[in-house]
Amino acid sequence: MKNLFWIGVILSMLVIPGCKKTEEATAFGDFSLKVKHEVEGEALKTDALIYTNAAGNRYMVTEIQWFISDIQLIKEDGEALGITQNVDENIFYIDTDIEETHTINSSYPIPSGNYSGIHFTFGLDKEANKSHRFVNPPESFMFWPEYLGGGYHYMKLNGKWINETGAIEPFNFHLGIGQEYDEGGKSGYDLFEFGDRGHYQHCDGYMPPQKLNSVTAFIHNNFSLKLPLNFTIKTGEPVEIDLIMNIEKWFYGYKVYDHDVWGGAIMQQQEAMDIACRNGVEAFSLRSEK
Amino acid sequence: MSAKSFILKTLLAFTISLFLTGCSNDKPAFPDEPGYKPTPYEIEIPYAFPTKLNIPNDNPMTEEGVALGRFLFYDGRLSGRTHPDSLMSCSTCHIQENNFEPGIDHPVFEGGFVHGLTGQQTHHVVLPLVNLVWNHSGYGWNGGIYKNNDNPNFRTIEDFVRIAVMASDEMDGDTNQVKALFQSLDGYPELFYKAFGSQQITFNNIEKAIAQFVRTFVSAEAKIDRYLRGEEQLSQPELNGFILFTTEEGADCFHCHGGFGNPLFTTHLFYNNGKDTVFDDLADRFAITGDIMDKGVYKAPTLRNISLGGPYMHDGRFETLDEVIDFYSHHLQVSEQVDPLMHHLLRGGVQLTPNEKADLKAFISTLHDENFLKNPAYSKPKKFPDEP
Ligand code: HEC
Ligand code: HEC
Repeated sequence: MKNLFWIGVILSMLVIPGCKKTEEATAFGDFSLKVKHEVEGEALKTDALIYTNAAGNRYMVTEIQWFISDIQLIKEDGEALGITQNVDENIFYIDTDIEETHTINSSYPIPSGNYSGIHFTFGLDKEANKSHRFVNPPESFMFWPEYLGGGYHYMKLNGKWINETGAIEPFNFHLGIGQEYDEGGKSGYDLFEFGDRGHYQHCDGYMPPQKLNSVTAFIHNNFSLKLPLNFTIKTGEPVEIDLIMNIEKWFYGYKVYDHDVWGGAIMQQQEAMDIACRNGVEAFSLRSEK
Repeated sequence: MSAKSFILKTLLAFTISLFLTGCSNDKPAFPDEPGYKPTPYEIEIPYAFPTKLNIPNDNPMTEEGVALGRFLFYDGRLSGRTHPDSLMSCSTCHIQENNFEPGIDHPVFEGGFVHGLTGQQTHHVVLPLVNLVWNHSGYGWNGGIYKNNDNPNFRTIEDFVRIAVMASDEMDGDTNQVKALFQSLDGYPELFYKAFGSQQITFNNIEKAIAQFVRTFVSAEAKIDRYLRGEEQLSQPELNGFILFTTEEGADCFHCHGGFGNPLFTTHLFYNNGKDTVFDDLADRFAITGDIMDKGVYKAPTLRNISLGGPYMHDGRFETLDEVIDFYSHHLQVSEQVDPLMHHLLRGGVQLTPNEKADLKAFISTLHDENFLKNPAYSKPKKFPDEP
């Protein structure tokens, strides 16, 4: 009996410091993402006609402007912590021309501990993608026209490629809400109904311009990813993780994307945006510094 | 001027300023003066407009500053001269009812091309003064006047005032002469006191007052604004034009000239929109950035009130909106510098049909804001402070 008592004492001595340890886990550390734009593992060189995509298009990139949202850090046990306390603030604009946008800091101290990955949404999801949520530039300049679904471009990747005739042609690889068009072109949308009241309603007798058939449905092309990476948050040791957009990967994976097929503009070509976004699922990777 | 007279003049100016500042700093210049209590001026943010304003920290807007700026903006003696042939002010070239541009039918400035008091024509055509308080990227066709400029003399609208007064193709004036002249005009010193707390007129305060006035110019009451607010429907052709304006397969203007999500109808950013193959203008965007891709690059101006008339583009090459629309439809020129957003380039343009051109023009006319062009707050004062 006596022995058992002592065993109990020893056991609890073992356990108590253990408890103490979990208390320590509520310490905090700093976290930031460094966004990098790369082509085949090298930092992007803008305005340089030096890249070749999977379709064999020789191309250059002038600028990339895009939104990342709903960034969450995944703990070892699977719990997900938003990088901002307020979900509404968890949307970040990134611009190859604006250095400050390449660093995304957590807006509050992140609990220390082991983490196993990062989740994020490319672009804005249906809930978040509301017109006029940003009135100030540069975010407001990303607006996506109401007629095409409203909200914001997820991404503008602008550049030029050498087309099949050998001429240098501009391309706007713009992703956002896609549309399905009524091939008959019989009915249209009343642009008067918009914004918070939801998307347009049909209006009898309205004929959109002849080039455009009326829109019958909108498709949200945004996607979310959960990328694995082990990292540890500790007090006094800020963690910096590189989030890399591997630009060449927008153009293959699910299907090869050929500029000669899709041309210079795809905001009204859902098929092209669909291929791009399915490819895009593989376009991001994480790299821990050090 | 000789070194000796320079020193004498400086000494004199110094003594005068010591004397005058001495008066105004210690106690009001006149015992019965109400004192320096300026009323803050608030810019109301119109529907869907940006909330961030480009107002320098050292020049907060006040009712008194704006009121003084209005007099100066319109007072031809801003040239520093009083002879009727030598009068010039901002309003000589920036005329309210013409969107603060001279207008293509100007009686003196033929075709809307302005020249200064010396007769020298300005290098570029006039830019409108519309919603400038929302421009954060740069003033002037090449954006050479911008917030973070290393050179502190080329950052703000205040700097534009000094440039306009001194430039040989504008007022060709002398800032000392200008401030001395206004110091001598009845009524002005009191207005400077009310606005800035000192009857001693400085050129710096002249700049500040005019810049404050220019920042009040807000155009946000056009038909398009009422439509965006859900108050008024557009006509069928206008709606068609709006769709053309904001679709890539249509006229594709929105990436640079705004739309529903950007009611400024400009990004205030810089692009080469495909007008030329050879670039020999020494005052394009390249002159500011030194980036070879910025040859032939200029600021995309706002399209608000643009249907009032040309001359259009930095060099005023187009007289009418029809010519501009034809240009974007069929006459794009290929060069390395053309912005990728001009993705219709190899087809020569967006290829609008005559009906579509008419619709696009109908839409652009919904950006016409009569309220702005006739707003009494921006108009010429009935009389100047020294007039009985
Ligand atoms: C002789 C005609 C003339 C006069 C007088 C004149 N301007 Fe201008 N203004 C111009 C021209 C021309 C431009 C375009 C300059 C350029 O970028 O090349 C311009 C441009 C501007 C701009 C830049 C607008 C923009 O969108 O970037 C501002 C601000 C301005 N003027 C303010 C003033 C003020 C204030 C005054 C009076 C102090 C004034 N101007 C007097 C001709 C004039
Ligand atoms: C790639 C960006 C871009 C696109 C797209 C674009 N513009 Fe422009 N626009 C500009 C720039 C830059 C200028 C000034 C160029 C200059 O002065 O040389 C300009 C000038 C103008 C002007 C003259 C403004 C003035 O004050 O003189 C009009 C009018 C105009 N654009 C209308 C349109 C219309 C209509 C469309 C669509 C068919 C369109 N733009 C498409 C960039 C663009």
